Amino acid sequence: MARSRLAALGAALVAIGTNAHAAEPEFSGQIRTWWMDQRASANGPLAQADALAPGLVALPRSNGTLEAEVRASGHGITAVGTLHGEHDEGGSTSSYGTFNELYASRDAWGWAFSAGKKIVSWDVGYGFRPNDFVEQEPRRTLLATTPEGRAVLTAEHFSASTAWTFVLVNPTQSRDALGPDEPALAARMYQRDGALDWHGFARWGVRTRASLGGAVAWVASESVELHASARLLTRADTLAIDPGLAAGALAVTNPWQAASVSHPVQALVGGTWTNEAQLSVLVEAWWDGTALSDRQWDDWALRNQALGRIALAPPPSLPPQAIAGNIAMQATAFTASTNLRRANLYARASWQVDKWQPVIDMLYTPADRGRIVTASLSWQGDRVRIDAGLRVYGGPSDALLAQVPTRRIAYIAGTWPF
Amino acid sequence: MNIRRLAALAALMLAATGSAWADEVTTLLKAADKYRMSSDNMQVDTQISVFNTDGSPDKERRYTVFAQQKHQSLVLMQSPAEKGQKVLMLGDDFWLLMPSSQRPLRITPMQKLLGDASTGDIATMSWADDYSGAITGEELCGEPTQKCVHLSLTAARKGVTYQRIELWIGKTKNEPVKADLYVQSDKLAKQARFVMDKPAAPTAVTEMLLRDQLTNKKETQVRYLNRKEKTVPEAWLNPMFLARNPSLD
Repeated sequence: MARSRLAALGAALVAIGTNAHAAEPEFSGQIRTWWMDQRASANGPLAQADALAPGLVALPRSNGTLEAEVRASGHGITAVGTLHGEHDEGGSTSSYGTFNELYASRDAWGWAFSAGKKIVSWDVGYGFRPNDFVEQEPRRTLLATTPEGRAVLTAEHFSASTAWTFVLVNPTQSRDALGPDEPALAARMYQRDGALDWHGFARWGVRTRASLGGAVAWVASESVELHASARLLTRADTLAIDPGLAAGALAVTNPWQAASVSHPVQALVGGTWTNEAQLSVLVEAWWDGTALSDRQWDDWALRNQALGRIALAPPPSLPPQAIAGNIAMQATAFTASTNLRRANLYARASWQVDKWQPVIDMLYTPADRGRIVTASLSWQGDRVRIDAGLRVYGGPSDALLAQVPTRRIAYIAGTWPF
Repeated sequence: MNIRRLAALAALMLAATGSAWADEVTTLLKAADKYRMSSDNMQVDTQISVFNTDGSPDKERRYTVFAQQKHQSLVLMQSPAEKGQKVLMLGDDFWLLMPSSQRPLRITPMQKLLGDASTGDIATMSWADDYSGAITGEELCGEPTQKCVHLSLTAARKGVTYQRIELWIGKTKNEPVKADLYVQSDKLAKQARFVMDKPAAPTAVTEMLLRDQLTNKKETQVRYLNRKEKTVPEAWLNPMFLARNPSLD
């Protein structure tokens, strides 16, 4: 019913938009191909499970991809479509096509209305965006890719220095949908004030209830930009292990289930410095109260150790797959939140030298001294762009980032826009 | 008493002379500006060609610039490699907008400087409102050589791309001939030469040739392909409106 209502509204906007927008249709796009050479970690739950029962779990594999993205707009309709084909080192091939965006727009009574699948990205910051609660775009990706938009109805009003945006998010999803798929009403207020950009945010989720946020970006001098963002939530979706399960007990089904965390806070501060030689340094620190707590990770480590002890001396009646499966299910905890640890530090240095841009960055989690280090080099020609780089996950062996399934990723990509 | 009167008179004369010089500089700059900005609100289609030090072509870019009064400019990148990117400049405040994101990125004046022809070079087409200075003297300049007025200019507001400019304009027609462009640290960043439509009776600048002195010594040719008067709607100068990737043609 809700889906048909959205479709009807979209169709109405399309019909009106067809008459309203006389601008010539525009087409553009890009073809991109890349190879990702991935090495699985020898540490962590998936590595342990694979050692115990080889082939039971899927480890990260190298793969080659060819992708075509086409953008078209005109007559009040905007569409961004992607065709994606992938071949991995195991020999399997997969392909799919999707619309990243497909929406109709119409201006009326001083407001701009849109309906359809659309990318609505908000907030300041680079490594983490607490108030990007509509799109929830992945951050710190190896290659800049166009995310897949969400089903939205938007109403926006603009003056010279203010903007108001109201969004009905995921109106076609079930009330039980989790995380970014939860139906919600979201709003943003923007005010430009000279060197300052002020943002106010509010969200009402059908299950997670209200959240409020604010952000500011300030150009403090010729070369320095500072930004900050914070969000207070009533509740947030996360994962938690079955509290009734003892550390060394084996489970038949995945004990990591959907849960919620009450009154978490998310906050970020950061700044960018750029000099005349085109060297730019970004530093950010953030707190994500929706991530699992240190105590939860301590319990997680205790369970890993207990399961490891069972694996070393298994009861005769217990197949190794049962133990391996339980160890592998511990990796589910890595998906509980966008950040593994609540406290995070991030630094990025980039240098534009003619057509070349070397970049190095590091994400550091002080709680366990885990780190992700990425070094990349981009070359931008008249049309073609080449990107290559290496990302390494590491830290002490008990650090979470040293236990994620991937140890390192090397990549090379070529992009041809048209 | 007489000495006091004399001192006061001298001070008044100095102030009056300074003010007269300032007025003259402003008049000269306004005259020079007319060769690039014939109206307060304009749409200018620009082509940038970058050449290596050996003269071989390096890259080419197309831009549409909406230069509006009160130091407001919107630059639309039109080449395939940059299609959909926009830079908005409102006085001393700047934003970068990428087509794959609905999030305007606040950038510093230093970040605006990046590139062979910075967005400041493309979007800024007037000096009179942004610089003050003095007449250094008269010199021969240009090819073929002509009598020029040499102006030493200093930024009158903080958001301009170049902190200091040494500018030479034709003595008779006041058309811009050449300029040395200095960044905040007083390093010479670029040297500019201006090509007029009709050298004998110039009416408009058709090309600006920039030689990079800070990094790669490459030459950038900025060609003004088309100019027309255009006042853009107020909302076009709101970064959040532009983040929606609206059609702006």
